[in-house]
Parts: sequence; structure tokens; C-alpha cells
Amino acid sequence: MPRRFGAYGGAYVPETLVPALEELARTWREARRDPSFRRELRTLSETLGGRPTPLYFARNLTRRAGGAEIWLKREDLVHGGAHKFNNALGQGLLARRMGKPRLIAETGAGQHGVATAMIGAALGLRTEVYMGVVDMRRQRPNVERMQLLGARIHPVTTGSRTLKDAINAALRDWIANVRTTHYLLGSAVGPHPFPSLVADFQSVIGREIRRQSVRAFGRLPDLAVACVGGGSNAIGTFHPLLATSVDLLGVEAGGRSPRSAGAASLTRGRPGILHGTFSYVLQDADGQVADTESVSAGLDYAGVGPEHAWLRDTGRARYLAVRDRDALTAFRWLAQDEGILPALEPSHAVFAAVREAHRRPSSQHVVVTLSGRGDKDLEVVRRAPR
Amino acid sequence: MRLGDALARRTGAGPYLVPYVLVDRGRSRRLGATVRALRAGGATAVELGFPFSDPIADGPVLEAASGRALGRGTSWSDLRRGVRVAAAILPTAVMTYANPVWRRGLDRAFEELAAAGASGLIVPDLSWEETGPWRRAARRSGLDLVLFAAPGTSLDRVGRIAAQARGFLYLVARYGTSGSGAARSARELRPMVDAAHRAAPKLAVLVGFGVRDRVTREAALASGADGVIVGTALEERLAAGASYGELTRWVARLAR
Repeated sequence: MPRRFGAYGGAYVPETLVPALEELARTWREARRDPSFRRELRTLSETLGGRPTPLYFARNLTRRAGGAEIWLKREDLVHGGAHKFNNALGQGLLARRMGKPRLIAETGAGQHGVATAMIGAALGLRTEVYMGVVDMRRQRPNVERMQLLGARIHPVTTGSRTLKDAINAALRDWIANVRTTHYLLGSAVGPHPFPSLVADFQSVIGREIRRQSVRAFGRLPDLAVACVGGGSNAIGTFHPLLATSVDLLGVEAGGRSPRSAGAASLTRGRPGILHGTFSYVLQDADGQVADTESVSAGLDYAGVGPEHAWLRDTGRARYLAVRDRDALTAFRWLAQDEGILPALEPSHAVFAAVREAHRRPSSQHVVVTLSGRGDKDLEVVRRAPR
Repeated sequence: MRLGDALARRTGAGPYLVPYVLVDRGRSRRLGATVRALRAGGATAVELGFPFSDPIADGPVLEAASGRALGRGTSWSDLRRGVRVAAAILPTAVMTYANPVWRRGLDRAFEELAAAGASGLIVPDLSWEETGPWRRAARRSGLDLVLFAAPGTSLDRVGRIAAQARGFLYLVARYGTSGSGAARSARELRPMVDAAHRAAPKLAVLVGFGVRDRVTREAALASGADGVIVGTALEERLAAGASYGELTRWVARLAR
């Protein structure tokens, strides 16, 4: 399990957290070699999570794009409505193995909070979720779901009151309660071993894409597209494809206007240290982390996973930013062309995928990871200017 | 003067008291008089904090203070000015998070702080494994890089960290962020203090996080530590507008 991806990654944390991070890395090294752990992970992924998720040919969206075939990897059909389940299940099992009775999590869009609350309930672990009050307002349905699932919500009122500040609050809780609590970090960010661990648990997405695309159209896709906030669904999509010739495209949130940096750390940020990892960060000249803005709470984050920073620098993956307006457009395309309500996060990826498909011949195949469903976003979409 | 000389562990010296003061553009004119008041009360050195947008090791009091300071436009140049003022009065260590220093460039940041008169640097989110380039930059600039030990740190690791720490070893007294909750008991801290002293006999061990009055200070020193750091309790007084005389008297009660 790599600690660094080129220069990126590492573990920049207070000393108090170091033993817990080492314990987590050790537990995962042992668990992944333990057949009974792997069997339980697979069984629960299938019977509770609903895996494998289908790879769906979006015929009408393909017609709209007028180029390469567009296929959707339906992570929106995972239990809870997003890919977040894959990682929450894996880390929940590790927490139980470490004997930690309490889970804490941060959440932006609420999808990771919901997934953690579900796993907490299923595995009998007490669950508490930190969420910025700005996000609680715009993702209300998920707040209610978490509460119904038995999780306690801690509203975060400091800083920008979004995902970044929820992570700060969760880290502070962890520093105080590290002996009894597992911090179930929801994205491929944070100190080692989290970026590698989350990538491992999310790689089921890319493995299924590999298998299913060969079965569906006889070969690997030409391009795989996924949205990137912290980057967990993207790294899960990309990882099993890294050693192939498939083009990889990560799509960040471009925010409201072309002048805004949005939340596009990789395309508009600079290398820096945030939340325990060295990666790209939106920041000012003094290294203060910038406030971000995006229509999608789940992408609204100033940092990004360190492996993406490395994939960007090496050129193995390309990254671009899609603006709010275009994400909303893609949301409506998918709703009306395919009868699927996507979350606003993967709507960014869908927009980029349609544009890419348009530029490619009809003999090619574009797979886009539909990381979550859009029920949580109906209010935001209803209020958005058309 | 190097931090390690000001705080060196030797017979008859100490116990040391190092207060923490956040650099804040809104109170920059009072910084000199504040540090003089701390010295008059018996402070050995001062920790100057540079605010960071995401201070994960700070409790609510220091986090709010950071937010206020940034809201008033506190910048890296304010830090350099603050160091020049404070270092003329007491040996001065700068405390800030990794990113502001990294963004500046390690060598450039260290040189600028050393040129302003700083003696050391304290970075609470820099775990020991990541300190290599930082220790090299510190050596080049003549700054002492302070390292941390915490309640869960194994004794073997405490020794290895102490051997590479310069200035002093910052022993975090308890699980949690700065300013809230009780410190671990002296009995629990003592083996760590001893391990550090064995590995680095001349290096002072200072206890911070949870030291806020004479009782908590006595408890910390009973572990065999060479001194204490007070942050939150002082910030509460500064934020409440305590007079210089009150600060001096408060520090004097703590330092005696």
C-alpha cells in the first residue's frame, strides 16, 4: 500500500493520530490476506449493497452526443444511492476488526454520511456524522435519512460550513477519541493509509467495468470518465484501468462563473498540504485554503486525493472543470433521455462524457461512472435558473 | 539565540514557561507590550502563532482566534513583523501549520523567519515521518525544529523523536485539541518524559495542551517535564482585553 504517489501523499497529522493510522494500515494489510474477511466483504457487497452494478448502454444520450457510444456504470443503484457504500462497508468491517465501537464520518452531499449510517446500523457500530450547515440546508433529504438510520448529526458552523470544515471537525473528534473511534473517511483524501485504502475499496467499480465492457462490447472502453471532488469514485474507476490503454478523464466542479475557481483543485490549484495529505489545493499566496463554490455539495472541496495529483502530473489521467450550468444541463439530459435522475456530482462527468463522445467516432466506447442518484438534489435543480 | 540554548536542560534552570500568542493584525500594536508583560511575569520564551484556515489541532478558542485574525487580513508579513518585535524581547518560536510554510517554500520561509530573529519553528501537523526535508531546511537556516510526542506515542518512538528534536520536545498532555479537557496524569506522562531525557539529556521536555492554571501546571511538572506551554488560557485573557499588568500577574502566578 503506497504512502506516496510520486511526491504526493504522506501523512501530515498531529502525533496523536499516528498510532491509529498505523493500526489501520496494519489491520488492512492483515484483513486483505484473510479469506474470511474477503468473503464477508464480498457477500455483504452483493447481498446488502446490490453489487455488481450494471453497465448500461445509454442509447438516447449517445444519439444526442452524435459520436462514440456512451455507457453508464450504475453506481447510483448501489444500496444508499451512491458508490460511497463500497468504502463505508470495507472500513466498517475494519473498524469492527480493530474493536472500535464508534464510527465518525464527514459528509458533504450526505451520501457518505448515509452510507456510514447504514453500515453502522448493520454492523452495530455507533455512528456520528459531521456536516456543514450550508450542506445540511441544500441536502436536506440526506440529513433526514441519516437520522432515520440512527446516526447522530453534528452541524458544523465554522469556516465555509461545507465539506472542508466537516473534515476539520471530524479530525478534531478523532484526535480526542482515537482509542475508541474509527474515522471512516469518505474520500480518497487524508493521511496515509486512507487514499490507498479508499482506492482499494472503490476499485470494485473499475474491475466490474473491465469485466462488463468486455462482455458487452468485446473490449475495454476507449475512455473512462468520472467526477472528482476528493476523487473516490474516480480513483475506483481508474485504478483497475491504469495499466491499460484506456484514456482516463476526471471532471472537477467549475463553479458558477468562468472567473471562479469553483472547486477545481487539480485544474486551478497548486500543490499544498491539507487534511493530512500533500496534493493539489486551492489556496492563496500565504497558503490559506480558499473557499470553494459548486452547485454540488459533494464536489465542493478545496483539496483532492494525492493519487489524482500524481496521475495529473504524469499525464496518465486528464482533468478538466465543468461549470454548474453545464452540470445542470447534463442532469436534465439524463433525466429526459434515459429516465435516470443522476446526482449533481456525476452530472459534471456526464456533461464532459457527452462532449468527449461527440468528438469521437461511433466505433468508440465511453464509460462514465454515475456515482450517485439525484433524489437529494431535486430542490437544488428545481431552484436553478434554466 | 537558539531556542535550545534558551530552554536548555541544565541544573538550576527552569521550570520553563512558554506562552503562546497568536499574530493578529488587529492587535499588532499591542504585541510588543504584551510580550514584555509576559517576560515581566517570568516567561522564558514566547510561541508566536501564525493563523491557518484549517487548524485541526486547535480547540474552539484558538480556532476562533485564528478565524478572527485571518478575517482581519493577517498575512505572512505580519508574522515577520511580529517576530521582529517579539524576538527583541524574548526568544521566539513560530508555531503554524505545515501548509503556510510549505507554500512559502521551506528554505525561503525558514530563512525569512530566522532573519526576523526567530529561534525555532513548531508545526503541529507535521508527523515525525515527514520531517526530513524540514529538519534539513531548519539546519541550513539555524532554526530549531521542535518535534512532538503525544499520549499514544510508544516509548521507543519518543526516544527516536527526542533524538532528532531541536529546541525542545513538545509533549502533548492528552488526547484532544488544544484548550479543553484534563491533561493526563503525571504518572502517565512520566515514562515519556524519562524516555525523552534518556535519548536527549540536554533537550527540555515541555508539556502543552491542557495546562491552564497552577494546578494543571504542577501536575504537568510532576511528570519530570522541564516546563509548560500555555495557549488557550492566555488567549482567553487577551481576547477579554486583560491589561498588561493583569497579564504579568497571571503569568507570574503560573511561573512561580
